[in-house]
Amino acid sequence: MSDQRSMIRDAMQAIAQRKPGKSKLVYDKTKRTIVAVSEGVPTPQALNITADDADMFGVVTLSSGWLRDKWSSLTKAGSLPVGFSSWDDGDALTQLELCIQGSGTHAAATLVLGQQQGQASEGIVISIVPTDKPTHRSDVFVSPDNIAYRGELIEPAGPAANPRDVVFADIEPQLDLRRAGILETTVLKDRTVLCIGLGTGGALVAVELAKSGVGHFILVDRDRLSVGNVVRHPGGISQVGRTKVNVTRNLILEKNPGAQVEVHVMDVGFENRDVLAGLVQASDLVICGTDNRQSKLLINELCVSADKPAVYGGAFRRAYGGQILRVRPKQSPCQQCFVSSLPDEASDVEVSSQDDADAIAYSDRPVAVEPGLSLDVLPIATQLAKLAMLELLADKSSTLNVLKRDFDAPWYLWLNRPEPGTQYADMPPLSESRDEMTINRWYGIYFERDEQCPVCGDFLSGLAAAYGLDSTQLPALPEKE
Amino acid sequence: MTWTMAQRQRLALENQILQNEGFTQFGVFHHPADDTYSAGGTATTSVGRNYHVFCMIPPSYPTQRPSLYITDPNPLLNFNGVAISRLGVSHAMHTLEPNTLGWVQICHWRADRWHAGIVLQKVFLKAMLWLEAYEQHLATGRDLADFVRTMQEAA
Repeated sequence: MSDQRSMIRDAMQAIAQRKPGKSKLVYDKTKRTIVAVSEGVPTPQALNITADDADMFGVVTLSSGWLRDKWSSLTKAGSLPVGFSSWDDGDALTQLELCIQGSGTHAAATLVLGQQQGQASEGIVISIVPTDKPTHRSDVFVSPDNIAYRGELIEPAGPAANPRDVVFADIEPQLDLRRAGILETTVLKDRTVLCIGLGTGGALVAVELAKSGVGHFILVDRDRLSVGNVVRHPGGISQVGRTKVNVTRNLILEKNPGAQVEVHVMDVGFENRDVLAGLVQASDLVICGTDNRQSKLLINELCVSADKPAVYGGAFRRAYGGQILRVRPKQSPCQQCFVSSLPDEASDVEVSSQDDADAIAYSDRPVAVEPGLSLDVLPIATQLAKLAMLELLADKSSTLNVLKRDFDAPWYLWLNRPEPGTQYADMPPLSESRDEMTINRWYGIYFERDEQCPVCGDFLSGLAAAYGLDSTQLPALPEKE
Repeated sequence: MTWTMAQRQRLALENQILQNEGFTQFGVFHHPADDTYSAGGTATTSVGRNYHVFCMIPPSYPTQRPSLYITDPNPLLNFNGVAISRLGVSHAMHTLEPNTLGWVQICHWRADRWHAGIVLQKVFLKAMLWLEAYEQHLATGRDLADFVRTMQEAA
């Protein structure tokens, strides 16, 4: 391995330094690999370099955006200090401006415009020198005056045993390019998603939407990440003790550094009704990942009142399955319609924390905490994110719009296993069923909106009629001191 | 928070339902001094004892569950002469967190079962059932839960 690595490096350095008579790298179409051709060797079999081999070298990553911003300072002063987060004993240096969460080990360097004269006395020096390489390459930086540059790393103690490449990260264009195949690059940048409840499912949905290019997030949760959360939540052990909104903000920014993320550490309760109403009003879509009825019904009322679409998701107990309800106010059943029509289904929730258990326990009848596995929550979060995407794309042209005929139902049901004691216990095995319900399939289920729903319908007229009263001719209430 | 017109209309309608459906011992009241609402009244059980039940209508009613208390007698004692409020959230006695004044809170619907389609008439119906079960508890010493089915989502 080390011999091959050394040969690759020699070959690449020879090419970079334009030394004649050495070797060159050629892409072999028949072998679909890069081969090194050395002078005097009749067949190009000395090396077989695959894409994986290119990752053998250490990398120093600079921010193109930062360098563009600092370009005039660099051209005036000739040099600039730059800080890096050092990973894996210096194998990778990532400019601090790119790091949402750093390694904890910093490395200082100096950026020099033009060729560095002599050996660097202390610290790393990166020379920014003109190049004629194609500008689309990751090791090429295009300055504001439209000149291509590359970076040359000069280690303080002379040539390093493991030299590192200098690459430039131009975040937004590079991320947009990856999404461009399926999503128009700017289509979701102006969308604001209010994510309420950032447990395992809620945080996963937020991160998926960030990856898809959603540009604005408002995060609401009161909890902190605990050690027990780590086996499910995308936040890791190093984040324990932090609020879930801040953990999730960092996860979002790791995937979409350009996103605007507003966080609110607060309970989703009636005491915060006015604040929540303001946040709902400021959003294009509400994702509700809380797992208690009161909070869902509160959010439902606020969303219907503000005419904002919302998607509610949650796992069943021990995550044997899960469900999603998408609400388009006054067009599809709301959460209150769901609770009234399907009370048992609406009450089947995962008890994933002590707080959840306490909320439904009696002092003389405790409730056990029974969280499901992360892998059983993931399908629900993924589907919820997809439904959320369709809502966000509602009035925009997109390749994903073809899914609208598939995801037309208001309620979606998923089963991870035939849980004993449930109506799904006797489902046929996946391999034997054609028409019956089985595990690992999404079911879109239709049910009617309640025209006399207390939240989205005309409840008062219906109630008055049921009791033979005229709701417009009621006496005033008796008054009391 | 200010009350919406829909909330005020609903409370007026709920009061009229109580009066028309034979629940005349209960009513919904407006407190103009601070623009709040309450509901309550004095219930008489089959053994002839009187109990005053009371709830403040929460500002997010009907989405928010109203807490229903027995304010008189206070303290309300169990078969063994112990204040029921000391039991806290008790399945055996169907109670939730007591008020700071020691009022016992009846578990009519728990928060995870409450929704806006439930009306005050049903809340007071459950209060009367609770009081009858309480009388049986006083007479026999058995848990109050033995006399009332676990509150199902019957609304």
